[in-house]
Amino acid sequence: MAKKEKNKIKLAIYWGAACGGCCVSILDVHEKLFDIVAAADLVFWPIALDFKYKDVENMPDKDIDVTLFNGAVRNSENEHMANLLREKTKILVAYGSCSHLGGIPGLANFSNREEIFKRVYETTESTVNPEKITPQTKYKVAEGELSLPEFYNDVRTLDQVVDVDYFIPGCPPQSERLMEVFTAIVSGAELPPKGSVLGALDKSQCDECPREKSENKLIKEFKRPFEIEDDGKTCFLEQGVICMGPATRGGCGVRCIEGNAPCRGCYGPPTSVSDPGAKMMSAIATIIDENEPEAIEKVIDSIEDPAGTFYRFSVPSSIIRRNIETSEKKAEQAVV
Amino acid sequence: MSYEPTIIAFLCNWCSYTGADLAGTSRMKYASNINIIRVMCSGRIEPLFVLTAFREGADGVLICGCHPGDCHYHEGNYKCLRRYYFLKKYLTQMGMNTERMRLEWVSASEGKQFAELADDFTEKVRNLGPCKIKEAAETLT
Amino acid sequence: MEEIRIGVYICWCGTNISRMVDVEDVARELSEMPGVVISKDYKYMCSDPGQALIIKDIKEHKLNRVVVSACSPRIHELTFRKALENAGLNPYMFQMANIREQVSWVHDDREKATKKAKALVAAAINRVKWHESLDKRTVSINPSTLVIGGGIAGITAALELADTGSPVYLIEKTTELGGNMAKIDLTFPYLNSARQIIQEKIERTEHHPNIHIFKNTVVDEIFGYIGNFNSIIGQNGSEIDLKFGNIVVATGLKPFDPSGLENYGYGKFPDVITSLEFEKKLLSGNILTNEGKDPENVVIIHCVGSRNRSEHEYCSRTCCMTALKYANQLRSAIPDANIYQAYADMRAFGKGCEELYTSTSRKGIMFLMFDQQNDLPVIKKAEPGDSCNMLIEMNEKLSGEKIEIPADMVILMVGLEAHEDAKKISHTVGISLDGNSFFMEKHPKLDPVATTTSGVYVVGNCQAPKDIPDTITQAKAATARIMGTIKQGEVEVEVITAVVNEDICCGCQTCIQVCPYTAITYDVVKGVSVVNEAICKGCGTCGSACPTGAIRSRHFTDNQILSQIKGLLSKSLELKEV
Repeated sequence: MAKKEKNKIKLAIYWGAACGGCCVSILDVHEKLFDIVAAADLVFWPIALDFKYKDVENMPDKDIDVTLFNGAVRNSENEHMANLLREKTKILVAYGSCSHLGGIPGLANFSNREEIFKRVYETTESTVNPEKITPQTKYKVAEGELSLPEFYNDVRTLDQVVDVDYFIPGCPPQSERLMEVFTAIVSGAELPPKGSVLGALDKSQCDECPREKSENKLIKEFKRPFEIEDDGKTCFLEQGVICMGPATRGGCGVRCIEGNAPCRGCYGPPTSVSDPGAKMMSAIATIIDENEPEAIEKVIDSIEDPAGTFYRFSVPSSIIRRNIETSEKKAEQAVV
Repeated sequence: MSYEPTIIAFLCNWCSYTGADLAGTSRMKYASNINIIRVMCSGRIEPLFVLTAFREGADGVLICGCHPGDCHYHEGNYKCLRRYYFLKKYLTQMGMNTERMRLEWVSASEGKQFAELADDFTEKVRNLGPCKIKEAAETLT
Repeated sequence: MEEIRIGVYICWCGTNISRMVDVEDVARELSEMPGVVISKDYKYMCSDPGQALIIKDIKEHKLNRVVVSACSPRIHELTFRKALENAGLNPYMFQMANIREQVSWVHDDREKATKKAKALVAAAINRVKWHESLDKRTVSINPSTLVIGGGIAGITAALELADTGSPVYLIEKTTELGGNMAKIDLTFPYLNSARQIIQEKIERTEHHPNIHIFKNTVVDEIFGYIGNFNSIIGQNGSEIDLKFGNIVVATGLKPFDPSGLENYGYGKFPDVITSLEFEKKLLSGNILTNEGKDPENVVIIHCVGSRNRSEHEYCSRTCCMTALKYANQLRSAIPDANIYQAYADMRAFGKGCEELYTSTSRKGIMFLMFDQQNDLPVIKKAEPGDSCNMLIEMNEKLSGEKIEIPADMVILMVGLEAHEDAKKISHTVGISLDGNSFFMEKHPKLDPVATTTSGVYVVGNCQAPKDIPDTITQAKAATARIMGTIKQGEVEVEVITAVVNEDICCGCQTCIQVCPYTAITYDVVKGVSVVNEAICKGCGTCGSACPTGAIRSRHFTDNQILSQIKGLLSKSLELKEV
């Protein structure tokens, strides 16, 4: 970097399996985008500028200074681009929940390719597909062979595919945090150790949360947010609503809670926690105010979807990583 | 070679681990598939440990604590019980047969019960075949 | 970070482990694990030379972690921690793998046992890498002692302690001191007066300036920890807050109630009485039947409620000799009476006991044996023409004959069993019960006086049935231990406590109500939870409830347990594939 002090840095932004929100969060820096463009050449950003993959392939290795890779790795195209950008980039940043932890696309790990194709191309209410046509990776037409990326069974995080230098969490990351990180990088300041989470706090959400917290955490029934008359002041957990705040890294400015919605965990776990769902399940289970098995089960039954609640953004990076029943089916499918 | 399950057992120090020791001092024989990890109280056993055990290749996880009302620390076993049911619901969602996980109360005097439990659980897990969690997590496709 | 240098020691325990586990193979294979500097096997690791070996290696090879694979850590963990300390290493840089109680003694396939031992040792090696030094902590000892139970055990303990100048609070749930001993006439085997012994002790107890007696009182709750317990005792409508440093549990046992045994007709025949009812007759000075006559035929039936699967499997230990004592007392009181001992096995161990049996058997006493498991004697009403009022039918085991014994009085040698409130007491003082509801000692052989709760001792029959000399021995042993701590003024306490990392704690307060000891409070100024380590007992429940990973359960941290799991499984699976 020292050599380039006077030059602009080369910045690339790419999306894998993503909703586009992360790219929008970059645009959400508003007029500061001019600061970004002043300090960096945008060498690749498919959502905003017209580049071809070939342009990237033709770059020398490590030519790009920073790549912000958002989105999970869900198909062969995502994987190819992750590998390619890793090769071409000095600092590869997993940007946003999907590339960091798997994110919402990661919920597909409850299922598998076969089930997803069946639902999407056959059984959705708005689909009419009597011939049951599903996407093929290769298809011959008169002009030659068409190809589509291969859809994988498993959604993966970026660091499950390539070596990642830093992580910027969030669904999407807060634009202010992005500017802080970007400014630090272009200023040539000494960066934290590789593997660090940037643009977030060490403590979890509760530290910033303005709601009143007490020790009265015992729970007799879990409720969904619409089932309570929220007083706008009391800790969600104390009102029986599951809030992932305690096991979620702060730094987002408690935006959801400010909007009277409980934290859903997009910023991922603090450094001291490896699997946020496991820690949160343990905490929540511990404060169930029942001792008899039937009564305990009844309280737990009031949580509609524990796996989806506690791992909303982190199924692929969780310990169990995917549903194993559907995983077994994929083996059968491979034989067919 | 026939399939031999690997089982991790988390035992509290005061009741269950002592009960397992009693099975030893009484020279009761049970399946060698059971590998015991000691914690002070079943209240220390948390989903993280159980999930890690499955992820690292355990075919079954046994959790033992003091009988209800007899916890050395008054009520740690109830907290363990709550986490156990929570985990069961979660692991069902993840497609695991929750018979691979079992919680039983074993007192310090129940060496015989521990030995019988070890055999019974081993047999049940053996019949379920190998657990696929490790394989599924490590062979992403 | 300092380089990790682990010493691994596999114990043979003579043949106890080496018979079933190839200890040399275990030591050889584990020597290859990363971090292991030396790996050895040795006959007896707990012996002085075994410990000396560890100490020598620590110094020579600059070891900073030690794994011993031997018996249960409940037996020798402290022994080895001391060895580490003697070598200048923090005692907590140590981990034990239990390959005796949980491998060699419970498995019978040497190959499988050896594999399992390897996996357990690998787990210990992986775990010990994450161990950290923990500092000793001491607390002061309140010199007062709470003694629960005013029988011979409690009285002995109270007097021993009070005589040294330490205050004693003696709690008795009935209105009188003396317990069961005050209810008996003579003691075996020397036939001394029990009353004389106990009466003198009761009087001394009642007038002792250092003993505060609370009769008609039960202890409902005890708070605190060794050296610093307290309890609120209700007394005459007011509440007294007692503070004490140690607790002696001496709550005794009660006689078995034979009403449920139909074959003995207790409650149906007025002249079928229990041993304690017979003591009452002895104390009153006349041994008469219900009709006021001298009994011509007295039958003493042994093992009532004892040594039988349907009642209590254990031996009540005192009844055989008491039965012989009765034979002697009957022979003196009614020289012409026919005295029968219907017994299952004569158990006469102990000083002077076999001699009592021999001398009694020369006094014209008839000894008849029955099968206690399958074939108990049956008491029937005699026919109108018979010279006695009851007949006892039994299959005499030695002769093999079915016989009938005449009886005017039958004494049932009832066993001893736990009080109904044993469970409640165990909860109050925080100790465990065994399967017979006797209080559990810390170790049946090595520490039969202390319990798993520091500062709580069990003495006398509440720990298991025993005679008066054994009760007194145990009471005095407990008091010697207590006096030791009082003399030192302080005692080392649990260092395996929870601790909050204030840099991580977000102040959610989930942990506070989770703690069973209210050891966690919320620091409003810092916005974090704080553990009071003097109160914390180290169960680790809060650490598992903390969603942020801010609470560390010392010596049972997430990393320590997870690496143990990973070490165990990786070795186990590796060996499976071989």
